[in-house]
Amino acid sequence: MSTQFVLNGAVSGATDGPRLVGTTCTSCGTWSFPRTFTCINPKCTDKHVEDAALARVGRLASWTTVHVAPPPPFVAANPFVPFVIVEVEFPEGLQIIGPLATGDDSSLEVGALMETVLDTYYTTAEGNVVMGWKFRSIGSESK
Amino acid sequence: MTQAKIIGVGLHAWGKFPQKSWLEMGAEATHAALHDAGIAWTDVEAVVCGSMQWAGSTGMRAGNTLASVLGETGIPITNVNNACATGGSVLRAAKLMITSGAYDVVLAVGMDKSPKGFLPSVPSLAEDPIPSIDMIRWQIGMPNPAYWALEMRKRMLRYGSTAEHLANVKVKNSRHGALNPYARYRKQFTLEEVLNSPMVCDPLRLLEICATSDGAAAVVVASASYAKRVGSGAVNLAACSLASGTFGDPTLRIPMVSTTSDAAATAPILSESKRAAEMAYAEAGISPNEIDLVELPDNSSWHELQYLETMGFCAEGEAERLLEQGDTMIGGRLPVCPSGGFSSFGEATMAQGLLQVVESTWQLRGVAGARQVRGARTAMTEVYGAQGNNSACILTV
Repeated sequence: MSTQFVLNGAVSGATDGPRLVGTTCTSCGTWSFPRTFTCINPKCTDKHVEDAALARVGRLASWTTVHVAPPPPFVAANPFVPFVIVEVEFPEGLQIIGPLATGDDSSLEVGALMETVLDTYYTTAEGNVVMGWKFRSIGSESK
Repeated sequence: MTQAKIIGVGLHAWGKFPQKSWLEMGAEATHAALHDAGIAWTDVEAVVCGSMQWAGSTGMRAGNTLASVLGETGIPITNVNNACATGGSVLRAAKLMITSGAYDVVLAVGMDKSPKGFLPSVPSLAEDPIPSIDMIRWQIGMPNPAYWALEMRKRMLRYGSTAEHLANVKVKNSRHGALNPYARYRKQFTLEEVLNSPMVCDPLRLLEICATSDGAAAVVVASASYAKRVGSGAVNLAACSLASGTFGDPTLRIPMVSTTSDAAATAPILSESKRAAEMAYAEAGISPNEIDLVELPDNSSWHELQYLETMGFCAEGEAERLLEQGDTMIGGRLPVCPSGGFSSFGEATMAQGLLQVVESTWQLRGVAGARQVRGARTAMTEVYGAQGNNSACILTV
């Protein structure tokens, strides 16, 4: 039994909490996620990219509750329970989707602060735990 | 540069046909279009065919598979996949073959059989160190309607759109579908029925998301001189554009997990769709208020609302008002999806863009029966495909 990641290297274990790891271009300032090998800005000619962690906290831009179990490779809970996907806006100029870490959408408000967490997505038939990024609402005020 | 004319169109019915192969459906649509054009298969000088996503290797090369049963003639066959924008993409390729003077008569054709349920991923069999982003979004739990739901929630937050607006798009399209003998779904729904349908990806309900279908459509495109030789019923293909997404567009596109934030956006939402529409208007020398009917890609109620704005038919935030005012009904100021739309047909990705063109051709010929838009002289279609492809066509008589 081992721990795997839905995407290797996508989440860093920084001391103040998990952060998403993307690519930043030191020439033009463009960020992209997930990590990639080049700068995705078509006007950037000098493309100098490096892996870099995004802000730990973003703001809620949108959300939806999925009421019908998606097909594989999604691993549905049994019995299936509707789950929430959130879209979080980061100061680096990206908005990124991920599962809401806990609960339903009843307390979600646009603009709410959302922190990045590393959590279990599912367990494989062989008993391996697959982990990935999720987001948790921490309210409207900075802590 | 010669003009391009549509001299023949043909359809196979949309629906589910478990006893019938996609190949036979494609052959039927082709024969119907050739018959409509008054020409033989052996007159066709080139084929552009949708390259199917879920039908294995002979489906990827559907144009060759089709030619093998119609009878191989050695002509150039191009197989194209631009996801749901394939129908417009094959037509554009055919048009360019005509307007360049390379060929006089080209067949654009698409056929599809859809898997059950949510349109699935196609796993990569290649040994690649980078996992497909498509696999990531599925593990997160993002079926296609979830993407549209996220955009629709933003409309609700920005413009105050309501659940009733979403439901009324379906009500309106079902009224059109009820008038169309070719539509798969012909029941007229009430607002209550739509609002009571199961939630799929909040705020989108089952009846507000199009189904997936089997279907096939074919269009014969010809030069003006060829069209004159073979007869009447030709319609001008005044524009057929193709555009891809622009960096800085904040739309979260299938199958991605990230995009430019709204705050940092330097391009409009659905940038490829806005660009394709603008290119089509420019090519045809026509402005949005001259369009008599539009077949837009109503994969969901969100699409219909957003595309009215993206295609330039109203200002940002005004689409719900057009719907409320009845402008988008047959008989209104701008009939939208007089065919009944994806809503009444379900989507057959390889053929959907051509279905829109077939309907538009019938409308401009005045043979659309109970759903005829009176006095229609200019029709527009637009179709969108995953990862940001869009094709817009303008047809005139």
